[in-house]
Amino acid sequence: MNKRILSLAANRLAIALITLVIVSFAVFFATTLLPGDTATILLGQSATPEAVAGLRTAMHLDDPAILRFLHWLMGLAQGDLGTSYANNMPVAALIGGRFVNTLKLAAITAAIAVPLALTLGITAAMWRGSVYDRAVTILTIGIISVPEFMIATSAVLIFAVYLKWLPALSFTNEVSTFYDILRVYAMPVLTLTFVVSAQMIRMTRAAVVETLSTPYVEMALLKGASRPRLVLRHALPNALGPIVNAVALSLSYLLGGVIIVETIFNYPGIAKLMVDAVATRDLPLIQTCAMIFCLGYLTLITLADILAILSNPRLR
Amino acid sequence: MSDKITNWTRSDDAMVEGAIRRGASRRDLMKMLLASGVALSAGGAVFGRATSALAATPKSGGALKAAGWSSSTADTLDPAKASLSTDYVRCCAFYNRLTIIDKDGVTHMELAESIESKDAQTWTVKLKTGVTFHDGKDLTADDVIFSLQRHLDKATGSKVAKIAAQMQSFKAVDKTTVEITLVAPNADLPTILAMHHFMIVQNGTTDFSKGIGTGAFKREVFEPGVRSVGLRNTSYFKDGPHVDSFEYFAISDDNARVNALLSGDIHLAATINPRSLRMFEGVDGFTLSKTTSGNYTNLNIRLDQGFGAKKEFVEGMKYLVNREQIVASALRGLGVVGNDQPISPANFFHNADLKPKAFDPDKAKFLFDKAGVLGETIPVIASEAANASVDMAMMIQAAGAEIGLKLDVQRVPSDGYWDNYWLKAPIHFGNINPRPTLDILFSLLYSSDAPWNESQYKSPKFDKMLLEARASLDQDKRRQLYAEMQVMVADEAGTIIPAYLSNVDATTSKLKGLEPSPLGGQMGYAFAENVWFDA
Amino acid sequence: MKRPPANTIAVLGTKFRGRVGYRVNPVGLIGLAIIVAWTVVALTAPLIIPHSVGEIVDFDYFGPMSRTLWLGSDYLGRDMLSRILMGARYTVGISLAAVAIACTCGVVLGMTAAVTGGWVDTILSRLLDALNSIPSKLFGLVVVAAVGSSIPVLILTLSVIYIPGAYRFARALAVNVNTMDFVLVARIRGESLFYLIRAEILPNILGPVLADFGLRFVFIVLLLSGLSFLGLGVQPPYADWGALVRENIGGLPYGAPAVIVPSLAIASLTISVNLFIDNLPAKIRDKEEH
Repeated sequence: MNKRILSLAANRLAIALITLVIVSFAVFFATTLLPGDTATILLGQSATPEAVAGLRTAMHLDDPAILRFLHWLMGLAQGDLGTSYANNMPVAALIGGRFVNTLKLAAITAAIAVPLALTLGITAAMWRGSVYDRAVTILTIGIISVPEFMIATSAVLIFAVYLKWLPALSFTNEVSTFYDILRVYAMPVLTLTFVVSAQMIRMTRAAVVETLSTPYVEMALLKGASRPRLVLRHALPNALGPIVNAVALSLSYLLGGVIIVETIFNYPGIAKLMVDAVATRDLPLIQTCAMIFCLGYLTLITLADILAILSNPRLR
Repeated sequence: MSDKITNWTRSDDAMVEGAIRRGASRRDLMKMLLASGVALSAGGAVFGRATSALAATPKSGGALKAAGWSSSTADTLDPAKASLSTDYVRCCAFYNRLTIIDKDGVTHMELAESIESKDAQTWTVKLKTGVTFHDGKDLTADDVIFSLQRHLDKATGSKVAKIAAQMQSFKAVDKTTVEITLVAPNADLPTILAMHHFMIVQNGTTDFSKGIGTGAFKREVFEPGVRSVGLRNTSYFKDGPHVDSFEYFAISDDNARVNALLSGDIHLAATINPRSLRMFEGVDGFTLSKTTSGNYTNLNIRLDQGFGAKKEFVEGMKYLVNREQIVASALRGLGVVGNDQPISPANFFHNADLKPKAFDPDKAKFLFDKAGVLGETIPVIASEAANASVDMAMMIQAAGAEIGLKLDVQRVPSDGYWDNYWLKAPIHFGNINPRPTLDILFSLLYSSDAPWNESQYKSPKFDKMLLEARASLDQDKRRQLYAEMQVMVADEAGTIIPAYLSNVDATTSKLKGLEPSPLGGQMGYAFAENVWFDA
Repeated sequence: MKRPPANTIAVLGTKFRGRVGYRVNPVGLIGLAIIVAWTVVALTAPLIIPHSVGEIVDFDYFGPMSRTLWLGSDYLGRDMLSRILMGARYTVGISLAAVAIACTCGVVLGMTAAVTGGWVDTILSRLLDALNSIPSKLFGLVVVAAVGSSIPVLILTLSVIYIPGAYRFARALAVNVNTMDFVLVARIRGESLFYLIRAEILPNILGPVLADFGLRFVFIVLLLSGLSFLGLGVQPPYADWGALVRENIGGLPYGAPAVIVPSLAIASLTISVNLFIDNLPAKIRDKEEH
């Protein structure tokens, strides 16, 4: 069994590299498809053909885009992320602190959202059709139906403007004590928990309910197992594959999808960085961000696949 | 009227209800209100609280935190490249200009002691003595020449390369005197040098992220797209700055910016959405400051292609634009009705005799009929990139629908808008920032060879008058020429300028010293060195 | 939406069951009723709106509910009721079409990958992973730049963005079912791929797949407005519900109906769809097997 997992992991590592290259090319072509290049966009309204040509030469953007991209790819292979077109700073320096911020926010959110969502999903499945189940469903869908920017803005209005309990902006550079962390992260984490939990809750519930109607669980029921025991011992292990996949999909959102939270709480993370990079057609920066998102996503789903195989004896 | 800034208060409802009871329909009512200017005067309520505190003596100390509305990884401390208001604010804090324009639009000397010329072609700039850069070096003529000359180098990527191109040669007469020779006479040079892009940097600078200038604050932190912090320059050559430190960043979400101010996280929130003004009603401790500096969003109809080639269509569109309604509903009163030419009432040369065209759908319909465009689908390109353009487009669309004109409003991404649609689409919206002189505005936008000739307006007569006015040092003659040129643009060009937009900044009332400026909001972006905290 | 008394629902439920042969419980029926009601609104909207959606009828902005303007006015002073009724067309129509395409493609591909296995599985999985790794904003911008903006393009873009998720989840479910004895038996019988996924796999993963459908529907309703703001899809003066919330978000501090009501409309639709799915007759699967 361990051998199987090891070979799968090795296999996945190789394929992940290929996927990264594919994504990298796809992002490159997508970027070149967009009208405008860094020079025209930096000059903006004042871009005249001569000015653009001059700036392009000065920024060494005259080489064909594909050559510049391959050059960047070679650099990446040697661990060099390249230099941003927009402000001539090393990409690593631009990303550094912001990537750490993104990871912090993602980790705190995951630590709260995953246990919460799994508990709600499993208990809802346990008492399927009950008032509790219906309430969980309505609340979950009701909350996920509210656009993220509305949740975030409402939170700021209530907790920062009217009650004045929390700061409206999340200045990470002013965090020194545990109390500060609580204050700074409370609203971003709350908003994101609302956003990512729904998928986990709903999918967990659905997967467990489906497993409950399989013959061997019905068999266990006939043997007189209690409901919680039935769910936790028999149904849950068999539903684990879809559940971990739902968790992986939800958590991957926390890397690149938190643009609204970053904007409203002025939290410097890499989602905003990516949006900026696209806006200025800053290829090295776009690519590096895309690689980070892709790598994060691949890591999450590979873990999910491994867990799924481990959980199903027939797949081992 | 109280001194609260507001666009409409519930107390006006009673009057309206009375009118309804007398049988006025909602539409009649709107017409009535707009005609009588009630909504406008409500919108124009006194914005004076910021200036009332000017008499007080500035106090020293405090850490100033302020938020603009836009920032990205392309943020720069290179004044030549500055493009967002965030860049202007930071450059104003770290650098100085040779000249500066005050709140009344009058040009004063800043780093220059004097700027003089006999023929408007060769100019002598004398620098103030005893001005030092943040690294301790003295300001010299070489720094000035370096700062101005680099705009001519294409590799700089200067935003004002076109304007700088008229500066033909520079000569350091002595350590503090520079001689600038222009290609042709231009009486406006001292005013042109007050543009933010012409700030003075140190000779030989290559890495601008250090922000070494002569300005009121020394750069402590600069993270593009995140924030900047400046500390008080203790050897600043002017009085001030009053605050100990100045932190600046951008909150692009309109509501979030207002909320951050209301919750006390920041002291100044730039460019408030007009619809947020009600948030400040009945809340003490905040001050609003309004500036109408000549920024405008305009509808451009290219005269050289498509529907714009039909003269009656262009004229009809000018009558189809309900300017009062745009100011009242789209801008919530925070704007001034425009008359299809780029010179706002804030400008000395504004032609007040040129009245805006009245909203007249019948006349428009007659003209459209003549042009034979009724029943055809006419695409109009709008985008969030041009402030309020989508709202304006929808209003013109609705007015058109009433008389059978089918406008197909297409909202396109702000990403790449200036590159793809502006100047290119047959009918599209543009957004023009204020420029210090008429000459610059007209030569950028309306002369036959103008780089941004938005409607492809070509008039040899206009070109001749432009040159004549530029070289003249006779103010009365210039005024007369400029007045006539404004009429020509309004009647002949395809650029419809329905309104000049106002900018409102909100601050905590503890922050004093903020004044309106003709150069734009946030005191012409230079508020940081002028404000102080009143404890 | 008016809530019919419980016994009426029970009767309706029985009748419904009599005709279709499935037993739908009352909660599911309420969900269905709301979906049908919004669909009717969507179809008849141009006939029932009191004002044109682009017309400014109120000098005030974010106006409150009143006798003349039932749901108040929006940020420009336009009638909210008319805008919401017309918005139903876009939100209900586009979202349902997009979610149907996304889930059908995703689930069919997912089952195929799980049943076939081997390199088909690997290639499909990695390609869709790669697709999922491209940021949706970049993707949307490229679509606008390359093919321009229209409703069909918007629907396809939304579908493509959500296919990888549907695929991944369906595949995870199908892989589990694929190991069951009855699938093995069918394989030995020499059944075709199409038979395997239709008769053996699909019925056994239908519940979670439908739950996924319901959730993806919510995501699409919300993303729709985001893409409209990129310039892809619904064009002014029309707006879908998400776009109504977005353009009127400035009214939130004042509790304006202009921002509250479209949010409630979205919630009523998405909750209904999910309640309906949750309460679909459990016996659909058994029917399929005959």
